[in-house]
Amino acid sequence: MRKILLLLLGVLGLLTQSATAQDRQVTGKVTSAEDGQALPGVSVVVKGTARGTQTDANGGYTISLPKNAGSLVFSFVGTNTKELSVGSQSTLNVVMTNDSRSLDEVVVVGYGSESKRNLTGNIASVSSRDIQNVPVPSVEQALQGKVAGVQITSLNGKLGQGLQIRVRGSSSVTASNQPLYVIDGIPVTSQDQSSSTAPTNPIADLNFNDIESLQILKDASASAIYGSRASNGVVLITTKKGRAGKTQFELSGFYGGSTPTHKREFLNTQEYVSYVQGALANSAALGQDPFSQADLAGIFTQLTGGDRAAWEQAKVNTNWQDQIYQKAPIQQYDLSARGGDAKTRFFISGGYSDQNGILIKNRFQRLSGRVNLDHSATDKLTIGVNLNVARTTNNRLSNDNAFSTPMQIVALPFFTPLTDAAGNISSDYTLYYNPLLNRDFSSNVTTVNRLFGNVYADYKIVPGLSFRTELGTDQLIQRENQYYGRETARNISTPNGQGFDSWTQVSNYTTNNFLTFGQTFKQKHDVDATVGVSYQESTRTYNDLTAQQYPSDAYKQISSAAKVTGGNGNLSTFSFLSYFARANYRFNNRYLLGVSGRVDGSSRFGANNRYGFFPAASAGWILTEESFLKNIPALSLLKLRASYGITGNAEIGNFSSRGLYSGLASYAGALGQAGVAGVPGQVPSQIANPDLKWEKTAQSDFGLEFGFLNNRISGEVDYYIKKTSDLLLNVNVPGSTGFRTQLRNIGALENKGIEFVLNTQNTTGAFQWTTSLNIAHNTNKITNLNKQVIQGGFVNRAIEGQPIGVFFTREYAGVDPANGDALYYKNTTKADGTIDRTTVNADNINQAQQVVVGTPNPTYIGGVTNTFAYKGIDLSVLFQGQFGNQIFNGGGQYMSANGDYFDNQTRDQLNSWKKPGDITSVPQARLYGGNGTANSSRYLQKGDFVRLKSVTLGYSLPKTLVSKIGLTRVRVYASGVNLLTFTKYTGWDPEVNADYLAAGASGNISLGNDFYSAPQARTITGGLTIGF
Amino acid sequence: MQFIKTSFLLTSLTAGMLLAGCSSKLDVQPVNDISNTTALATSSDVEATLVGAYDGLGSGELYGGNLLRDGELVGDNGELLWQGTFTDVRAIYRRNIINDNAQVSRTWLDAYRAINIANTVLDNLATVDAAKRARVEGEAKFIRGSLFFELVRFYAKTWGDGDNAANLGIPIVLKGTTLIDVTANVARSPIATVYDQVIKDLTEAEGKLPATNGFFATKGAAAAQLSRVYLQKLDYPNAAAAASRVIAGGQYTLAPTVDQAFDLRTFINGSNTAETIFAIQVTDQDGVNNLNTFYTSAQYGGRGSDITITNKHLAIYDAADDRGNLFYQDENNYVRTIKFVNVYGNVQVFRLAEMYLTRAEANFRAGTTTGATPLADVNVIRVRAGLPALTTAQLSVTSILRERRLELAFEGTLIHDLKRTRSSTQYSATVFAWNSPRLVYPIPLREINSNPALVQNTGY
Repeated sequence: MRKILLLLLGVLGLLTQSATAQDRQVTGKVTSAEDGQALPGVSVVVKGTARGTQTDANGGYTISLPKNAGSLVFSFVGTNTKELSVGSQSTLNVVMTNDSRSLDEVVVVGYGSESKRNLTGNIASVSSRDIQNVPVPSVEQALQGKVAGVQITSLNGKLGQGLQIRVRGSSSVTASNQPLYVIDGIPVTSQDQSSSTAPTNPIADLNFNDIESLQILKDASASAIYGSRASNGVVLITTKKGRAGKTQFELSGFYGGSTPTHKREFLNTQEYVSYVQGALANSAALGQDPFSQADLAGIFTQLTGGDRAAWEQAKVNTNWQDQIYQKAPIQQYDLSARGGDAKTRFFISGGYSDQNGILIKNRFQRLSGRVNLDHSATDKLTIGVNLNVARTTNNRLSNDNAFSTPMQIVALPFFTPLTDAAGNISSDYTLYYNPLLNRDFSSNVTTVNRLFGNVYADYKIVPGLSFRTELGTDQLIQRENQYYGRETARNISTPNGQGFDSWTQVSNYTTNNFLTFGQTFKQKHDVDATVGVSYQESTRTYNDLTAQQYPSDAYKQISSAAKVTGGNGNLSTFSFLSYFARANYRFNNRYLLGVSGRVDGSSRFGANNRYGFFPAASAGWILTEESFLKNIPALSLLKLRASYGITGNAEIGNFSSRGLYSGLASYAGALGQAGVAGVPGQVPSQIANPDLKWEKTAQSDFGLEFGFLNNRISGEVDYYIKKTSDLLLNVNVPGSTGFRTQLRNIGALENKGIEFVLNTQNTTGAFQWTTSLNIAHNTNKITNLNKQVIQGGFVNRAIEGQPIGVFFTREYAGVDPANGDALYYKNTTKADGTIDRTTVNADNINQAQQVVVGTPNPTYIGGVTNTFAYKGIDLSVLFQGQFGNQIFNGGGQYMSANGDYFDNQTRDQLNSWKKPGDITSVPQARLYGGNGTANSSRYLQKGDFVRLKSVTLGYSLPKTLVSKIGLTRVRVYASGVNLLTFTKYTGWDPEVNADYLAAGASGNISLGNDFYSAPQARTITGGLTIGF
Repeated sequence: MQFIKTSFLLTSLTAGMLLAGCSSKLDVQPVNDISNTTALATSSDVEATLVGAYDGLGSGELYGGNLLRDGELVGDNGELLWQGTFTDVRAIYRRNIINDNAQVSRTWLDAYRAINIANTVLDNLATVDAAKRARVEGEAKFIRGSLFFELVRFYAKTWGDGDNAANLGIPIVLKGTTLIDVTANVARSPIATVYDQVIKDLTEAEGKLPATNGFFATKGAAAAQLSRVYLQKLDYPNAAAAASRVIAGGQYTLAPTVDQAFDLRTFINGSNTAETIFAIQVTDQDGVNNLNTFYTSAQYGGRGSDITITNKHLAIYDAADDRGNLFYQDENNYVRTIKFVNVYGNVQVFRLAEMYLTRAEANFRAGTTTGATPLADVNVIRVRAGLPALTTAQLSVTSILRERRLELAFEGTLIHDLKRTRSSTQYSATVFAWNSPRLVYPIPLREINSNPALVQNTGY
């Protein structure tokens, strides 16, 4: 590899030499039409060549160009691209006008940037104005519905939780399916750091009002430069840079509040009492009653805390669900300064965000500061620093599967009084642990101190050849502090309080060193190339302590506890050593070719397969440059592109290839040490696989980009096929080996899809109306699993020939009208090969074959944004939707179980079968009857939804007015998120996936599950932005 | 031009240095866990692995409680009430198990996991110091034999229900797993073969184990397990002999009163009682007592209302029977057994009282008096419970079994006693004969799917 690198360096050097001979120089200044200010950072490219530069802090530029060069192209994010012919001039000044369509913008790519026009890969771009001031904790949530082919799911309505991001579908069964995040060139920690099974999201530490632009690399030609970590897409985040000129301050803030998008209805006292009594009578009639009606009355009375009248006369009617939502104010303030001079540019910002969740005690706060500094030391040398410090404080909740999570309160019958006779919240007589005790007597706070940033030096060796070195770090220091007072004894199983304290430190160091080269030969041949090396090392240290027996609730620190009952300390490291290269070639400004490749070595892989090679190639054809299309006025752009490449997935455990012994017994039945009562022990914990290597994804992408009527109508269509092979798969092995799974490279899957993006400028003039639409269709199919059946969630499976995570369970056949029995289709194959569609009841359920009954993967996702502007008034309306997927309500066996147990029931259970001839889908209510409560398609529903995701209405005060009070800009706005949801799903919210399953070992398969998951928040805010 | 060369050189140098320095950085070694190649180097490494096998045996799914809990739930005749929310456990209680029942799967997996650890110890005996080798071997075989026995009792037909040499038992694995290939697809051996292996393991264990061994397995523990095995296969002379060896060994004494046979303290690290033959050790730091979890009220660290005791059970005790006092009313007025009240209490697997009852029954059925007369043995237990001694005329299989039920109530032997005595169980009005397929667990579906050599049980 080293030889190849040296060779490349040599070639670049030679090319540079030959290209410098015939240049001449043009200088000029670029200003903004809006305010006449100098515009730094504007891209200046010699048309039809790769030769380019950027304007300096004063908007000035100098470019050397070939003698025969025709024109210069000036482009800048958010402005119309200008093309000016040079002629014989040596000075060329330009005024840039604003443009919301930004078709010819410069986009950030891996280790560089490129004009969108010349791209041969698929990269989705989002600019700062699309995401700023959205009232959510994390930037990905602000992207929902805005990027074609990217599915973003909040697991539930708890704040600061992990998210599920899928770029062009799921590409792995066992390894992670989340994209790689790169901020200002440095890969950052984005993985869950929670010690509970409810995941956290480290990307939430980033104040996304600091983001200038965000690029999502979707196809192989765009992402292969990130090699073994690119299969799930790469998110490149670029933060705001300084600009030369008068220092511009911006102060913005908003305030608002959240409410749940939807509540479910449960039985009231009268309904519940008669329903459960009826259920017992029904069981008794079948000789299957566990106890008598008198016993039941006794149980009811106990559940009321001893007040028989509470249930018998319906004296008490507590709607428990109403107790778990809180007033949820939300506020955020940002102040930034941006400016500089010819030598030094800066962007400085500080932000504070305080978001309260809709559920009791849930809160997310972030305090952040950023300094981005660029200094031109000489004409050739630019050095700079990007530095971000942040502190987030997240008041967290138990996972969706815990009795102490607020949502599980809905299981309590309405006749249980809110407080006991003394007026205290109590868990002594409630059916389950009362989560309100956690509100009053516990705390669960995760605090993260985060520092990420980098220093860089960029040296222009000669015009057209530069060297850049970056040294970046990402330090994440997290404390999880939990305290459970003695009132929560029923939940913690110990009488005098319990505390938990953990510290996590994730240290990432990355260095990138690369040469960039760009040159034009004979006016028709443009070449640019990048070659470099990168090294990343990441170390995670973690320790925790659990203690019990506190003198009183006033003591909350571990040192006050009489007993330390648990402790962990561990350290884990991974490293990547990578060599990468990219070259683009353009002929005659219309034929585009690109190749890239990366060699990745990682400590994570087996000794036999430590290095992998990830190449990609792409081609493009700008048809509108051809003479036969050039003169059609209506046609502004027509471009075809195609790419093929191989990327990898390395997101597995750091030591997954090794055979290991452990001093911990981390399996279901015996958590804790492998020792016994103080005597040390060890156990085999993992079976070795020295051949373990990268999962490979070969992706083809075919795209068409178009623009009509001076780009008033523009868009792109992409078709892609992503074939993943050598799946990193936790393969089930016979349990009689003493192991459950082994990580192997077995199997293959594919994603195929179409993405469609359309941007239109519907009106021009004083009233401006634009529409931006994106739709994506993806089909996922597992093509080979070596006959494995891999289970996850409640009934999710990975099965050959099916999409990942299909719902595989018994098919519910409804209710026998004769006797109220729940029925299931047998679905067995008969001797003649046909499927047996006769039915069996719950007692014979083992005769009913499990079959695929649905999929959690949407077939279509999309969003449409309409923006309107008229005389300072702006309105933006975003609808987002997903279609074709189902949701499994894992809580159904408890909450919609036709009186199987004492859990309060959803109101739809009142439609249960009552007498022969009844046609209903709810079986006869039978206490302890198990009549239809087994996992089956009974609890599966369509999950399609369309959501009015966001609406923002703003008004910018006239410039003449604001300048009188010394300001440059004043805008007031009102904004709403998740305002309306259109769905047939009867649960809380169709955007859901139970957190504890999504974060579990089979999280990639455990999709589309609802389990007492909190609904999303509907948030309404009002805000103000002032520039001065 | 000179400048270009210089920078070019510098760049190449930087890059080159970086590469040279980094290649070795890919060799990152795990520090939390250690490599299997170094884990079993010394005698103390193998001994630590043996402790790991005990830890596996004490899994909450096994002797940590669930195996004993489910022995009572499957055999219940209305003497307890399962109100817990776990639907998989409820299915066991209702004797309406689905082949993908998660509890059934976890028990299987954890049992074979512990067996594999024990096998690994046995494979590495040569590394163990000669002075310790016999003991280590005995302990590993005790663990392995015990788990094969538990598996065959739960996952296969009862001994004597048809042809033991033809009825399928469970897979027998006698080597530690170092590699997984097709040989890992082990088929089920016949029930008779499994029992032979169990008896071989336990007999060898009894021979090699010392009389005392801290809280780990002893000669007495192996003999106690053997007495259960023989009783289960209706081999009464051997059952009586094994039980008699435990009693005659003199290492264990009956607690003076029956309540002292249990650890009735609360929230304190467990300790064995005078009559504990073998128990899973639990501390506040490690180990689980799932009997506490499911049988005990929230105020003593349990889950709450999962298993409560019904009047039907309480009605069996004579008024004078001290064992009728081993119950308490919880904060919700449910009746609970007090036997597992200590959340950090040890889980007793065998205690001496059972040996007296086993010897009495086996001697009575075989017409022998190995160690003592059946009457004397039964009366030892009765008198301790504050009851008058039985007369010879009152002694019968029924009266011995009644004593056994009352003495060992909720300690996990119920279903196995019912099956071997050919007695039915009942859920509500539904009666299950001793040989009902509903009383046999399915082979876990995940196991059927991952091991093509396995055959499913009837009815699943």
